[in-house]
Amino acid sequence: MKIQHKLFYSIFLMLFAVSAQAQLDRSKAPKPSAAPEIHIGDYQSFTLENGLKVFLVENHQLPQVSFNLSIDRDPIRENESVGVSSMAGQMLAYGTSTRTKAQIDDEVDFIGARLNTHSKGVYAFSLSKHAEKTFSLLADVLLHPVFPAEELEKLKTQAYSGLANQKSSPDAISKNVSHALCYGLNHPYGETETEETVKNISVEKCKAYYNTFFKPNISYLVIVGDIKLKAAKKLVKSYLGKWKKGDVPTFKYDMPKQPVANRLAFVNKAGAVQSVIKIIYPIDLKPGSPDAIKVSVMNAILGGGIFSGRLMQNLREDKAFTYGARSSIDSDPLVGYFSAGAKVKNQVTDSAIVEFLYEMQRIVDEPVSEEDLKMTINLLTGMFALQLEEPRTIARFALNTARYNLPKDYYTNYLKKLSQITVADVQAMAKKYIKPKNAIIVVVGSKDEVSGKLSRFGTNNQVEFFDIFGKPIQENTKKLPEGLTAQDVVNKYITAIGGAKKLKKVKSFSMSALMPFPGAPTAAVMARYHKENMYVNSLSMGGNVMQKQVFDGKKAQESSMRGSRMLEGDDLKAIKEDAAIFQVLKYLDKGYKIELKSIETINGKDAYAVHITFPSGKKQTDFFDVKSGLKVKQIEFKETSRGVMEQAMEISDYKEISGILFPHTMQMSVGGQSLKISVQNIAVNPKLKDDLFKIKK
Amino acid sequence: MRPKFLKLILFFLLLGTFSAQAQNKIKFVEYELENGLRVILHENHSAPLVAVTVMYHVGSKNENPQMTGFAHFFEHLLFEGSENIKRGEFSKYVENAGGILNANTTYDRTFYYELLPSNQLELGMWLESERMLHAKVEKIGIQTQKKVVREEANQRVNNTPYGSILQEITKRSYKVHPYRWTVLGDMEQLANARDEEFVNFYKTFYVPNNAVLSIAGDINIKDAKKLIAKYFANIPKGKREIYRPKITEPEQTSERRDTVFDNIQLPAVIHAYHIPAQGTPDFYAVNMLSTLLSQGKSSRLQRALVNEQQKAVFVGAFPLSLEDPGLSLSFAICNMNVAPEDAEKSIDAVYKEVRENLISENDFQKIRNQMESDFFTKNSSMATIAESLANYKLYFGDANLINTEIDHYMKVTREDIQRVAQKYFTESNRVALYYLPKQ
Repeated sequence: MKIQHKLFYSIFLMLFAVSAQAQLDRSKAPKPSAAPEIHIGDYQSFTLENGLKVFLVENHQLPQVSFNLSIDRDPIRENESVGVSSMAGQMLAYGTSTRTKAQIDDEVDFIGARLNTHSKGVYAFSLSKHAEKTFSLLADVLLHPVFPAEELEKLKTQAYSGLANQKSSPDAISKNVSHALCYGLNHPYGETETEETVKNISVEKCKAYYNTFFKPNISYLVIVGDIKLKAAKKLVKSYLGKWKKGDVPTFKYDMPKQPVANRLAFVNKAGAVQSVIKIIYPIDLKPGSPDAIKVSVMNAILGGGIFSGRLMQNLREDKAFTYGARSSIDSDPLVGYFSAGAKVKNQVTDSAIVEFLYEMQRIVDEPVSEEDLKMTINLLTGMFALQLEEPRTIARFALNTARYNLPKDYYTNYLKKLSQITVADVQAMAKKYIKPKNAIIVVVGSKDEVSGKLSRFGTNNQVEFFDIFGKPIQENTKKLPEGLTAQDVVNKYITAIGGAKKLKKVKSFSMSALMPFPGAPTAAVMARYHKENMYVNSLSMGGNVMQKQVFDGKKAQESSMRGSRMLEGDDLKAIKEDAAIFQVLKYLDKGYKIELKSIETINGKDAYAVHITFPSGKKQTDFFDVKSGLKVKQIEFKETSRGVMEQAMEISDYKEISGILFPHTMQMSVGGQSLKISVQNIAVNPKLKDDLFKIKK
Repeated sequence: MRPKFLKLILFFLLLGTFSAQAQNKIKFVEYELENGLRVILHENHSAPLVAVTVMYHVGSKNENPQMTGFAHFFEHLLFEGSENIKRGEFSKYVENAGGILNANTTYDRTFYYELLPSNQLELGMWLESERMLHAKVEKIGIQTQKKVVREEANQRVNNTPYGSILQEITKRSYKVHPYRWTVLGDMEQLANARDEEFVNFYKTFYVPNNAVLSIAGDINIKDAKKLIAKYFANIPKGKREIYRPKITEPEQTSERRDTVFDNIQLPAVIHAYHIPAQGTPDFYAVNMLSTLLSQGKSSRLQRALVNEQQKAVFVGAFPLSLEDPGLSLSFAICNMNVAPEDAEKSIDAVYKEVRENLISENDFQKIRNQMESDFFTKNSSMATIAESLANYKLYFGDANLINTEIDHYMKVTREDIQRVAQKYFTESNRVALYYLPKQ
């Protein structure tokens, strides 16, 4: 009995255990426990006699400390030298009165620290035991920069490369143009950097910027990490106590206005396969204003959030126009903005704009659901809590509170205010800030394929055209003369350079040219053509052949210092086409497709744009001056796995040789670099040996 | 008298360093469930959030050579849902709770995490236990993710300049070891894989006895343990044998050199030297050597190639920290109009210098300082602490390395650095690749 009883008991226990486990209902997500009290850490602050305001967030979890010094000046216009403040900022760490750039780098690395400088200050970070050394380096670059001329030149060269890259970056173009239009070219937020403005930057201007604005009385120093108040005070006083205060000019600007009706601004990016759409307009929304939190909820529902915004759901999940569509609202003491955007396929550019405007109108007209509101509040509550993990968030709160004169409890009350937002609040914010009828719609894309369908979105049904820096450009809408064909344009060019008869008499040809590379020896370029189908070109530097292509009429070889390879497939077809002395004579042949597309402005003059598709599949656009008939530019489009790459070349300086006009200057932009080719010598029908065109094994 | 006095100073110095470390020691609790799940808990109330993470000891090296890419594929598949989580809802639960989530895969392990407000700890446990117990490994999810992973491969490898480097290097560096294929694996093998092969993989590797559950943040250890028992204790232990390859790559005896043509503008030079596995004394020395060569604006490669000679626009040296013997890569992108031979000469000169000459006391102190700085700053968030604890537990069985690994670095001498430079960084022990523009 006893045993049985025991057995029974243990079976009972087992059953009980099973049923206890069965109580775990996996089918439903567990409920959250009571919301944690979100505690925003404390900060301390003090002010030096020179006016420098210091915030300290002590956090001793890790033995590290960061120093972030920022000047709080009014936004400024840089006029003819846009970019000067950012270069002056970078140059702070490029040499001081007692240290070279290399010495600064050595000393920073020796203690495993980091030091970054920018237009509005200096950031430094290290282990707390190296706090003093690190801070002394920060103070040195902050107080004693010397702005060496040779370092500025290096930075300017980098800036030119960066600008050249921008030309092929639709994102950079969209940013330039939308800012220029939203704020105006004469507003600090609307100015854009160009090659011209970079040229105008000088050491003197960098120094002037630094001397005017780097003053303690407009600066904040934020210290975060493993350092006590007393030690921080001592450090700041001993290194920055002697920093002299001074009057800093202040600036006022007119409030940019929203357009009275929608504008459609178009920037042509020939060959683009996607349109970059940005809908933007200025708003008056100051940081910490009573609207700010409510607006952020409204925007999260419209197009913010991670994946749940209406723009994302509509344009991506429902219509599959794009990989992502979003909106944002920015508050700013001077002027804020609303913007919404996406990258969409060419064919759906107009439909995508319709959907953007529809969603903007819908959130104005219809109250949002309680469910959407609740989910958004949950999301924003979580995001607020998560960012508190970083002590620098507390520092940011302290800094904002001081800079924008917010109520002391602004951030501690944030979650409470967030939780109280109602459906009516959201609609009120939408009515006040969402303007589907007063927006600037900026589209960067292919003019040929896209712009025609967009006029209905513009003021008076007009598309306005802009250059990549946001300057309006005229015409571009000129109509092609009735009846004019691509053949006519090509024939006019052939006539202009000497006529088909003369051109066909040219059986061999050679040309040599020079091509200076920035920071490298000037390259010598040589091209020779022989017996109508043999071709060799080479590029050498300092007497060494860097690259060479040979086509013997059948086979082609490409060689460089690293060896050589035979060209095959499309590469071989392409070089066959290149082997023609006057390619244009073949444009009218079978296998070539030519198409007259539009009238464009090239360097201020009208030119016909002709699209050419070569038998090899290569695509190119040639531009022929309307008046002279001469070819002034060409753009080659190359298919790569990264999309279509453009290679543009401007052609000028035509001179007559043996009765034929040959261009003597070619300006190329390749991989973000602008290269000028100057022709030195041209020979028509020179005597060339067959040997030159033999492929060597 | 003098020696005694010195001893006293040393004693205090040691005491000083000891207490400095003790102050910042990361405390944790660890235990193992009966089903073999290793658990590590780090309680930290500095912010009201919690990182819930699971690390599975499966990476691309555990794959069948005929079916590569499986480990990474699961990183995608296991967001598809489970018996109780509808398709596509995994991330919605997290976002609605105000949290974030993600995952990543390496040659050696797969890591999943959620970062949540701390009152959602239980949600994190539910999600991760669903993933471990009965994730949906079925047709619709497999088919969808096959497409997504192919796009990922296109984007990362084929469509990114220099994106194929690791793939091109490892297939030449390894002849027999599974590191010879990449984490992304072979897209054709993946495309052809049958659904039941994925089910097999899941049943083999996604088991509690092959995982570490690491939780860090605003938790109460006692309550967390109860929840862990509730959600994880009943997950059955895996019954299948877990494949852990024991393959030794034969020593490389002569340089392997090749050229790759890519859609790039500027040529690149890549060297890959065989180095020992992570956690070995020589690995620590190799790591310090790499720091000397490429960390910071004053590092040797950076200063020689970028600043002084202007031969490269970018240069770096990176040891791959792997469970089996790995590689140390050096990578330079040439400046405009600089031939790769020319850049390579300069790189070789930098390596020759460290082979032939003992580094200066000053340089030695610099890299010790840099290692120390990195050591303290890398564990600055709950997510990184949870991941580091899991890594150390999984690879070395010792989570406390999070506090003590720095000692291994501090044991490395100047002579060790020269010795590893001579031993591993030789031409015959490397693969040398030129990346050249296609046109």
